[in-house]
Amino acid sequence: MALLEVDDIRAGYGDGPDILQGLSMAIEQGKTYCIIGPNGAGKSTLLKAICGLLHPREGNVTFKGEVLNKLRTDEILRRGISFVPQDRSLFPDMTVKENLRMGGYILRDSKELEASIKEVLVMFPILEERSSQQAKTLSGGQQQMLAIGRALVLRPEVIMLDEPSLGLAPKIAQFIFDTIAQLKDAGMTIILVEQNARKGLECAEWGCVLDLGINRFEGPSNTILSDPRIQELYLGSQKQDRQEETV
Amino acid sequence: MSQFVQVLLFGLTLGGVYALMASGLTLVFGVMRIVNIAHAAFMIIAAYIAFFAFTIYNIDPILSIFITMPVMFFVGIAVYWLFFARIEGTARAGELTVLLTFALALMVEGLLGYFFSNIYRSANPPYATQALHFGPYILSAGQFYATLLSIGLIVLLWAFLKYSRIGYAIRATMQNISAAQVVGVNVERMSMIAFGIGMALAGASGSMMSFLFTFYPGKHWEWIAILLALIVLGGMGSLVGALAGAFILAISSALVSYYYGPTWSPITFFLALFIILLVRPQGLFGKKMEA
Repeated sequence: MALLEVDDIRAGYGDGPDILQGLSMAIEQGKTYCIIGPNGAGKSTLLKAICGLLHPREGNVTFKGEVLNKLRTDEILRRGISFVPQDRSLFPDMTVKENLRMGGYILRDSKELEASIKEVLVMFPILEERSSQQAKTLSGGQQQMLAIGRALVLRPEVIMLDEPSLGLAPKIAQFIFDTIAQLKDAGMTIILVEQNARKGLECAEWGCVLDLGINRFEGPSNTILSDPRIQELYLGSQKQDRQEETV
Repeated sequence: MSQFVQVLLFGLTLGGVYALMASGLTLVFGVMRIVNIAHAAFMIIAAYIAFFAFTIYNIDPILSIFITMPVMFFVGIAVYWLFFARIEGTARAGELTVLLTFALALMVEGLLGYFFSNIYRSANPPYATQALHFGPYILSAGQFYATLLSIGLIVLLWAFLKYSRIGYAIRATMQNISAAQVVGVNVERMSMIAFGIGMALAGASGSMMSFLFTFYPGKHWEWIAILLALIVLGGMGSLVGALAGAFILAISSALVSYYYGPTWSPITFFLALFIILLVRPQGLFGKKMEA
């Protein structure tokens, strides 16, 4: 049985239409999944539905056999699923250290929290250097490291990253991808949503192509990378998309 | 010169009380992004509680904060749970809260008028009319104690926000609501607690008001106008801003009152409001907001 299962879910915002329209996906332990697809395909919505920021209207999200649908985010965090949202949402007026502490907000044991923060700081030495600086003074890349570090404070089994390379210079983006590879080597299960599909797929074992709220196609990531149809539809236009976005 | 210092001291001793009044309003705005028009109306409720506690049971109005603060805290929780919890997250929550807090202010005013009539009231503890002498300068004892207590409460609030776990969560919600949700903060609960604390601060302000100023049910309109000027000047949602705004305006209005006559004093607040909105609309310590 898969570690995390998404079974035929429908979800959307407020009174709006279903963004996810019967999406299914199975996540196996210790593997890295890269989710690609055009804007509005429901990639971010899927991650939000898994971590309880959005409750599915139909269908089930199951983690280790337990249905997560109605759980709050803090309860899902406690079960070992962490989320790094797209906008690197940090607490701008808090220091780096305080941001990391907020990552462990649900922990009651302060010793455990401090030990875990120390581990994160070893992983990102630049954050250690800047630990008493306000988050808003960090560069884009440092902010992304802090956002990832904050999610790691809870030592999650599954980490979900929503477009971690967005808006970063290629060199910094590469560092983020290296970090993801490091997490993978440490045995973590990773769900990665990436606009930079080629890069994303290269560091994943399995790729899923989302379109109009369903899982259009999935398979080993090298198959997807070399599939001519997908290349044409989702990878070929990649360069152009990126350029438009950076303008 | 000595007259100038005297007026300055007068302004300073009022500033602390203004700051206390504004702190609850700015906290609620910071967390919930609503302007609680009823804030001053709730201050008047507390002023009545303090007034009757003094006239009937002879409870010192300053000590009455031990009654007004918890009572208003729970009133705040109830109001939040009854009204705000229902509209939060709905499509037009922003507009609704304006109407809602406006309606609450009118309701409170009407009920107070019905039960206690519109007579001007003011509690008269001994220190309300005593003076303290500092060398050549004279301070009103009531104002002096009230300002000390107000600053003490603001320091407590600051320490609570800075060091407690709930304080961290409230600040996180103020700074980035979606990030707070991602790390597992129960944002709705924090809003409820913040609203309760805001009301408790309105409670303490009411206790001070009961002996510093005369009040009647409709008086809250004057106060909310002043308080809005203070927090807009300081930057909405900023505690430091509320403090700075309160002292700047209390001192300026005292100076205007002395040099140009008390008739001109209230206009200081609105003039300051005009200028700040023209020159620096986010206030002294506020952040620019996206449109």
